[in-house]
Amino acid sequence: MERFFQYLFDGLSLGSIYALLALGLVVVFRGTGHLNFAQGEMAMICTFVVWQFNDWGVPLVLSIILGMIVGFALGAGVEATIIRGVAKKSQAGVFVVSIALFLGLNSLAAMIWGSLPPEQLPGLFPDEPDDFQRIFGAVWRYEYIGVLAVALVLMGLLFLLFAKTKFGLAMRAVASNPESARLAGIPTGIVLASSWGIAGAMGALSGTLWGGIVGELNAGLMFTVFIYASAAATLGGFDSPGGAVIAGLTIGVGEQFLAGYFPGWIGQEMKLSAALLTIFVVLLVKPSGLFGSTKVERV
Amino acid sequence: MSLLEVRALSAGYGPVEVLHGIDLDVDHGEMVVILGANGAGKTTTMRAVSGMIGRSGSVTFDGVDITRTNAEKLVGMGIAHVPQGRGTFPDLTVMDNLRVGAYARSGGIAADIDRWFAVFPRLAERRDQRAGSLSGGEQQMLAIARALMSHPKLLLCDEPSLGLAPLITQEVFEVLKKLNADEGLSVLLVEQNANLALKVAQRVYLLETGTVVASGSAAQIASDDAIRKAYLGA
Ligand SMILES: Nc1ncnc2c1ncn2[C@@H]1O[C@H](COP(=O)(O)OP(=O)(O)O)[C@@H](O)[C@H]1O
Ligand SMILES: [Mg+2]
Repeated sequence: MERFFQYLFDGLSLGSIYALLALGLVVVFRGTGHLNFAQGEMAMICTFVVWQFNDWGVPLVLSIILGMIVGFALGAGVEATIIRGVAKKSQAGVFVVSIALFLGLNSLAAMIWGSLPPEQLPGLFPDEPDDFQRIFGAVWRYEYIGVLAVALVLMGLLFLLFAKTKFGLAMRAVASNPESARLAGIPTGIVLASSWGIAGAMGALSGTLWGGIVGELNAGLMFTVFIYASAAATLGGFDSPGGAVIAGLTIGVGEQFLAGYFPGWIGQEMKLSAALLTIFVVLLVKPSGLFGSTKVERV
Repeated sequence: MSLLEVRALSAGYGPVEVLHGIDLDVDHGEMVVILGANGAGKTTTMRAVSGMIGRSGSVTFDGVDITRTNAEKLVGMGIAHVPQGRGTFPDLTVMDNLRVGAYARSGGIAADIDRWFAVFPRLAERRDQRAGSLSGGEQQMLAIARALMSHPKLLLCDEPSLGLAPLITQEVFEVLKKLNADEGLSVLLVEQNANLALKVAQRVYLLETGTVVASGSAAQIASDDAIRKAYLGA
């Protein structure tokens, strides 16, 4: 039973990081109908930015906020300057551009930060060996509790933004019918750029939380997380924020259970393949995901 | 001076010009209908007037030249456009659709929503349903109510009868006529059903392949034999 709760707790914490990044994918998809393959790399760059600010002496919390602002600017800037223009000409072009961004951002990070000794990102929460709480016999490290709490709070804020604010209403309107949204006076360009911006900011937080757990930063930091997040977004449905969160947490927990109970059967390397297999099977069997609307077909 | 003055309006899609220099007026408090066969350019005219597509010529609204004004600014100036077919936000609830309609202004929104619920009681019953789950007639009413939430001076309404049962069409037209008569709302209407349109509109433009081929009062048009043969099936 102890083990069960241990895997559950760890899985929820890690899953909340996947969910954050998956939510970024969903916000972009709902807003503009595109899959942003560079989402993970944008998050990785922002995590380095957080480290850089922190290294310059800026307090960590402030560095994270700055990193999220940079993430917002990066996302919004990419949408307004590159994606929108390409999307007018060809949807497939957006796919190519986001792959190019993926590669470009990856080399950029390696160029700027690659030659230094590996950067150590301090965790946001106490992570000494004895910083934990026992709940149902399982060890719940403060760091993991903190990650889960921060991720859940941010998701809650995002849902409030969507459901309760005029800006959220505008975002939903643009996603549902861009032409009528314009006719209703909604500045669709600003709304679309903002949805990429919000995704960028969430990626920054997701990367920072993950970087705090991993400890060392490198250009491949978000690769695994991005695969899990993609699996979560696919499983939950690319147009369903709630689905992305549930699927992200489920994948996190599932990963821990599989690796914990069947250590020989499915090792560290196999977990990635399992995530990719999930994507593949969902796309084949139910392309709209578990919680998405059926109109999602262009994936 | 008319509320809406369109002069030498040309517009199209990419290299293809669809409208070849159209002149058109809508007076304060007037209800004007554009008639024409499928593909004549009626929808293109509406889209060009509301700035959804590139245009040349001039469009003046309430004395202001709006030829270069962005579509999203026009609703704040008093032009509301119910596009052909897809005027609602299918994924949003009826309430949220109406809230979007009031995006460009503030104050008294709840009272306005109640007002349109009184005019369209069936929308009130479905206030929390997704617009996409409504019947065609209900969606058209919602699209019109959504447009009216912006307090327009001019309502552009593109084929509100499309795909609706005759009785529902009647109902929609009653509402438009009443708004025009009681509140002085100016309306520019596109319609294929000429008999119906001629009953509610005061003036008519006949459009053929992107050109105005005839215009006049509803009575004049209705009594012109050649036009009756071509457009009214009698
Ligand atoms: N989005 C578009 N792209 C290219 N051509 C279009 C588009 N919409 C309409 N057209 C063309 O413009 C002409 C006028 O269409 P439209 O204004 O929709 O006519 P109506 O509303 O009178 O039926 C038609 O020949 C149509 O094929
Ligand atoms: Mg039309």
